[in-house]
Amino acid sequence: MANRSGAAQRPNGTQGKICQFKLVLLGESAVGKSSLVLRFVKGQFHEYQESTIGAAFLTQTVCLDDTTVKFEIWDTAGQERYHSLAPMYYRGAQAAIVVYDITNQDTFGRAKTWVKELQRQASPTIVIALAGNKQDLANKRMVEFEEAQTYADENGLLFMETSAKTALNVNDIFLAIAKKLPKYDQNQGQSGQGQGRRLAEGDQGAKTPGNCCK
Amino acid sequence: MDEEYDAIVLGTGLKECIISGMLSVSGKKVLHVDRNKYYGGESASICPLEELFSKFGAPAPDESYGRGRDWNVDLIPKFLMANGSLVKLLIHTGVTRYLEFKSVEGSYVYKGGKIAKVPVDQKEALASDLMGMFEKRRFRNFLIYVQDFQQEDPKTWKDFDPNTQNMTALYEKFGLDKNTQDFTGHALALYRDDDYLNRPALETINRIKLYSDSLAKYGKSPYLYPMYGLGELPQGFARLSAIYGGTYMLDKPIDEIVLGEGGKVVGVRSGNEIAKCKQVYCDPTYVPDRVRKKGKVVRCICLLDHPIPNTKDALSTQIIIPQKQVGRNSDIYVSLVSYTHQVAAKGWFIGMVSTTVETDNPENEIKPGLDLLGAIRQKFVSVSDYYEPTDDGLESQIFISQTYDATSHFESTCMDVLDIFKRGTGEAFDISKIKRDLEDEEQ
Repeated sequence: MANRSGAAQRPNGTQGKICQFKLVLLGESAVGKSSLVLRFVKGQFHEYQESTIGAAFLTQTVCLDDTTVKFEIWDTAGQERYHSLAPMYYRGAQAAIVVYDITNQDTFGRAKTWVKELQRQASPTIVIALAGNKQDLANKRMVEFEEAQTYADENGLLFMETSAKTALNVNDIFLAIAKKLPKYDQNQGQSGQGQGRRLAEGDQGAKTPGNCCK
Repeated sequence: MDEEYDAIVLGTGLKECIISGMLSVSGKKVLHVDRNKYYGGESASICPLEELFSKFGAPAPDESYGRGRDWNVDLIPKFLMANGSLVKLLIHTGVTRYLEFKSVEGSYVYKGGKIAKVPVDQKEALASDLMGMFEKRRFRNFLIYVQDFQQEDPKTWKDFDPNTQNMTALYEKFGLDKNTQDFTGHALALYRDDDYLNRPALETINRIKLYSDSLAKYGKSPYLYPMYGLGELPQGFARLSAIYGGTYMLDKPIDEIVLGEGGKVVGVRSGNEIAKCKQVYCDPTYVPDRVRKKGKVVRCICLLDHPIPNTKDALSTQIIIPQKQVGRNSDIYVSLVSYTHQVAAKGWFIGMVSTTVETDNPENEIKPGLDLLGAIRQKFVSVSDYYEPTDDGLESQIFISQTYDATSHFESTCMDVLDIFKRGTGEAFDISKIKRDLEDEEQ
């Protein structure tokens, strides 16, 4: 189990604070949710990425000035396919990326439905980003940039067109989210999650639960 | 849905979700279906509060209950033993990363109309007001014996054979009186009745060890409770199953379990669609003609705006009322969780009183438990049958779980799951099949 809190060793040797956030991915099947995450976390891209199996929980950090933002990224694990995503998925999520495929108008419509679902189910303070993925296929574009930008502006969403294939805007969209997330100090309360503790092998003795920032 | 699967799992209660996860992890192609729109079946936590009120036919809650969405009310009360099978399963499957827990603050036992803290170590035993001075010393010696006891090392058995001698004999060896036996058997070993007295002592010794090992893990009490309610548990295991390729469909009525030659299952039908499969795993509600009634459980959900009196304002508690204390054959369990577990609006508590039904007036049977709670703002009583399968499923390849019993923790739940898995697959669940790279991804 990764340590959930504590001062991180930063590249320049000084210690900054770490904030951990739960980020969930949403969007129609095959729009490239897993590909975006794999590009962001591992720098990889597979043309024929299989449906999500066995890798639905990844972490990656982003550095901002004196703060390290650690994303705990949840993939849908295919549970979106028959609209059977568990409420647990949204629970305590502080950020969401809603993904659509710019070459497929239906996926944009679905993305709007997911945004509504988030506004209804998730925390009111959740930071939502809209990602128009597969920008490398712009010649087959079916969703206009301006249309998506207008929708995003009206709903207070971050918006970028991305390409997991060419890496366009992939790091940038995570960075933009990181900048927009509130960086609480640990003493000033929590950032959405429940103040419980995670269980891990070898747990022994009562420890104070560590959560977000230090 | 018109595809072929190794196994189709019906119902998303905790047991079915664990089984589904285990099957997917073992490389089986799984379809998991629920007739309801939500996960959890009987083990769901009800949200919002309005839904709980309407489920029990009560008028909508007034505004003093806060936001309905802040409530997640369990229908079946249970706690996790910190060192118990479910926690081990959660850790080894990695499902624990989706959940957060809190330690239950207090563990109490009822004696002579009052409640007292359950003494678990030598120090607490000596301070406890459950026993007289000489009895305390005898109980302390008993605790030390259990603590030092090692199943593999007969030297620690101290001239007692735990495999052949029964628990009554062990109590007698230490000279423990009936009262001490009562709270040891019911509040430490967590037996619901006294049958254990005549069985080999080893089983009880191991149960007491589980209690004290669990206590040693996170302190205060041996029990854990998940944030947002028990309904998170089935969702966590469902996610595990999905991650390993399991397909999920909610809100899908099941019209028929299709049998082939020799009464063996070949598929499941929903409307005009048939999904083929080699096996079905399900809860009793999907196969009413393949289960028999085993008994009844009465459960009362109580909404309180205060903690339970005489528990030092604990925000979560378990109280066990041993059968003999109130002239019964099975124990009454009282549990309390609160807004600090994100299961109730700020300032609110949820008490639950439950027991196995023994008379024609089940509500009256739980009265000793209700009386401990103080003023109750709203209460919802339910009496439900519990079922067990009529056969082991080997012929039909339909493997059926038992309904959740009245026990206060998940040990019997896990036993049933592991047993079903073994019957269904012919082998015990191999934890090492879980990809270790899941761990690596966390770094």
